[in-house]
Amino acid sequence: MVENSEAGTILNIEKLNVSYPIYEADPVHALRGLDLKISKGEIIGLVGESGSGKTTLARSIMQLISQPGRVDSGRIEYDGQDLATLNEKELRTLRGNDIAMVIPNPRTELNPLVTVGMQIANVARYHLSLPRKEAKAMALAMLEAVQIPDPLRRFKAYPHELSGGMAQRVVMAIALICSPRFIISDDATSGLDVTVQTQVLELLQDLVQQQGASMLFITRDIGITAHYCHKVAIIFAGEIVELAETKNFFNNPQHPYSVMLLSAFSHNPKLRGMWSKAAEAPPEGASGEGCYFAPRCVRASDKCWAEHPLLRTSGEAHGVRCHHPVER
Amino acid sequence: MSDVLTVKNLIQHFPIAGSRSVVQAVNDVSFTVARGETLSLVGESGSGKTTVGRCILGLINPTGGDISFHGEKIDKRNNVRGKNLLGKIQLVFQEPAESLDPRVRIGVTIGEPLRSLGERREEREKRVREIARRVGLGEDSLYQYPAELSAGQQQRVGIARAIITNPDLIVLDEPTSALDPTARSEIIDLLIRLQKDLNTAYLFISHDLSTVRYLSHRVAVMYLGMIVEQGSAPDIFSRPRHPYSIGLLSSVLLPNTNLERSSEVSLQGEIPSPIDLPEGCFLTSRCPFVETQCRAEMPKADDIGGGHLVHCFKHDNVIDEEKATLDYFERFQEEAEKLLISGQ
Amino acid sequence: MRIMRYIGKRMIFIGPQLLGIILVSFFLVKLIPGDPAVMMLGPMASESTLEELRADMGLNLSVPQQFLIYIENLVLHGDLGRSWQTTRPVTEDLFLRMPATLELITLGLILGLLIGVPLGVGAAYLKRGILAKFSDYYGLLAGALPDFWLALVLIFFFYTILGWVPPPLGRLDFFTIPPPTITGALLIDSLLDGNWQALSSAAGHLILPVLTLGLISGGPILKMTQSTMDRMLESDYSRYEEMCGLPKAIIIRHALRNSLPSVVTIVSVLYGFLIGGAVLVEIVFSWGGAGQYAVQGVLNADINPVLGFVFFSAVLSLIIYLIVDLIYFAIDPRVRG
Repeated sequence: MVENSEAGTILNIEKLNVSYPIYEADPVHALRGLDLKISKGEIIGLVGESGSGKTTLARSIMQLISQPGRVDSGRIEYDGQDLATLNEKELRTLRGNDIAMVIPNPRTELNPLVTVGMQIANVARYHLSLPRKEAKAMALAMLEAVQIPDPLRRFKAYPHELSGGMAQRVVMAIALICSPRFIISDDATSGLDVTVQTQVLELLQDLVQQQGASMLFITRDIGITAHYCHKVAIIFAGEIVELAETKNFFNNPQHPYSVMLLSAFSHNPKLRGMWSKAAEAPPEGASGEGCYFAPRCVRASDKCWAEHPLLRTSGEAHGVRCHHPVER
Repeated sequence: MSDVLTVKNLIQHFPIAGSRSVVQAVNDVSFTVARGETLSLVGESGSGKTTVGRCILGLINPTGGDISFHGEKIDKRNNVRGKNLLGKIQLVFQEPAESLDPRVRIGVTIGEPLRSLGERREEREKRVREIARRVGLGEDSLYQYPAELSAGQQQRVGIARAIITNPDLIVLDEPTSALDPTARSEIIDLLIRLQKDLNTAYLFISHDLSTVRYLSHRVAVMYLGMIVEQGSAPDIFSRPRHPYSIGLLSSVLLPNTNLERSSEVSLQGEIPSPIDLPEGCFLTSRCPFVETQCRAEMPKADDIGGGHLVHCFKHDNVIDEEKATLDYFERFQEEAEKLLISGQ
Repeated sequence: MRIMRYIGKRMIFIGPQLLGIILVSFFLVKLIPGDPAVMMLGPMASESTLEELRADMGLNLSVPQQFLIYIENLVLHGDLGRSWQTTRPVTEDLFLRMPATLELITLGLILGLLIGVPLGVGAAYLKRGILAKFSDYYGLLAGALPDFWLALVLIFFFYTILGWVPPPLGRLDFFTIPPPTITGALLIDSLLDGNWQALSSAAGHLILPVLTLGLISGGPILKMTQSTMDRMLESDYSRYEEMCGLPKAIIIRHALRNSLPSVVTIVSVLYGFLIGGAVLVEIVFSWGGAGQYAVQGVLNADINPVLGFVFFSAVLSLIIYLIVDLIYFAIDPRVRG
């Protein structure tokens, strides 16, 4: 189980709006007024389905939103600094060094012509200004830390020669070698075999906590967060709809969408039916300003269609964005 | 015989170009699927479960062993493309987007199998509409292209296309792996409903254990081309006897913080390559219970009763050490139901 | 060791490949109209003399028989026949002329690489701006301009007007003593011989033709480099390296390394083409190269030079492709696997 986090905020996102303009059509709003605060040493699980905006969020934090997307408004503060005020050089100093990303599908994302050992070493070389020999030694030590068997031989291997699990460990080594204070893991374990996934998750959690770093763990699999995160955040249609400490979340999920996500794991279709329905069109006269989840919500009332709910925090730091949160 | 499919001692080895080694994809696999039941093949990458699926369709000649469908032998000469079996065995693929022709409208795609069977246009269109209703696709979607549908809807199309010929057996190769959790549960519900209505047998290939628990009557756990354990779903999930099965099941992460993932058994290392496998049991490099006998010979199937077969010399010891109860999935189910009901 | 086995395997196939090439060429060449006997002896010759000459040259036999004789000569005696125009053995002619062509096109392609690759990389990296526009126009022009026209323009400008280069009359000044032939490449042979006069003369004569070929071949090389670099810079791993905060220089260097196979491919294609394709430039500069030799053979129904040229080109092409494959081996670890 995860231990308690320290105080102090490392990442503060306020009312972030990101959209992708589309030629001759309405832009796609990937993130809408998203708020998120992550403390030092905290691991937050961010759960969402496809199209919820979770990958856009990851890229926004890295200030690498894919063209033609752009930030419309809002702030991302890292360790007190507004990232939008930094120039390209300063951002490059942060990336890979202080803020690192663990990516999925490593075999296609690693350079096929460079040995994995050198790819790890390169990050150390350029960020920590190390001479080649030292960087190589560090990379080797990192390979051991991520428990790759036979690290000396694997150093000289190329990405296509590694299995999925090993490539994932290499990517972790790259992310962690400069001891970053903040790590984003974007769906890093999807596509891995279950037994390998367990090993990788244990390892990631250990290393992150050893370094006292914070992590934003993005995933589609809500089950993982129950075992590896301090807090759980649910993202839907570009905003956070629920945020709570893990235990509180799973004992008392309050947002209807969260309950719907959890019901997907239940073996009881009747129960599932109680919490999900096909998307409905808004009723006549709806203002269009209502809750984004209303079309699929079984509890939607007129107020839900009319007024956009704010994220309200109840006791025990449990935030819900809903007019009619579930009460037990 | 109510067995729709019988697989006996199936072996499939693929030669590697330019060398004398072979990829031992499937090594002596035997199982049966009865009418209207679901048998799931579970395993990780390299387990050979996808190859077994392909052998069953008769698209490759097995290196050894037999496959028979309703007592008739299946091989390259008598396979799903032949007149005999056309439409009786169907397939649902993993990536719905890639298995649908992007330039063909949904309605046409669904009706394609009937075209191969020679049905006429009016008949076909009637059937397509009926099937679309059954799988929960609106009539307008029949005129759309795959790119206009969500992943869940695309998979419904794949399923519609599979059931339209009223097959006796459907092979489903990881049909929900590419879907979001909510879409996944809807598709599984649909599959269960369809099975009840049409009495179709399913061979369900997957690595998603909680789905398998829900959907299957019987389960076969595969590792490096072998079935290490098979039996009824409750037996396998609550009383697994093979170290690999236990290791696999304990890796499943269910969304509940209260339940202890109770297992003394953990599998180290990674799955070895299926080329040049060692003598003896394939799990020896990772098994915490390994001893000399395991390295010397391959354990044969041990029948524990009720159709529960285990391939392990040490399974008695395994169950001794595995003291904690393994009703993880049952307990989760109870807690989940309580949680869901209480919110209403 | 694996490399030696690979080369060995390829070598085995060279024989049959060459045989096939010569077979097809032989029969095609025999289709060229024109009676060599008439060409050689003139239209006034008597029929009996013509018959005698034909029998002498073996032209009265059937084509397959002629082919077998040709192959026999080639394989057993290394004899490619005699050119009736130069009256010398074809092998001798080609050993003189091939190196001239090869020296020229090798230097030309090197120049093409020096022009095309940096421009291509720059254009891919700075997507907008002057460099990209310039590269676009340059690529277009290089494809559109005929090489001999460019050669003439360059001659006019640099020789006629500016007088900076020697006249376009072959590889050396008339009065310079050529070095003893070791490789056939004048630059190398002069160096080896210590013959500085020959060296400077050869270099001076090489400037314009090399410049011509370099400017022309730079076009496709630039385009290939640019489009491949574009793709590499958009690829997953380039983005990942950006995410890791690696400096731009490293990202570009890695992308370039990944683009090398494509550049190598196009250079090999150009090389194979230029062996014969440089003929127009060779004619403008009176180079005495292999292409000229083959063209004259075709025009005069002089078959042996043509076939000899085909044979030599085929051997060279096969060697080039083998070298290219070995380069792929060296660059891309996935090919080795």
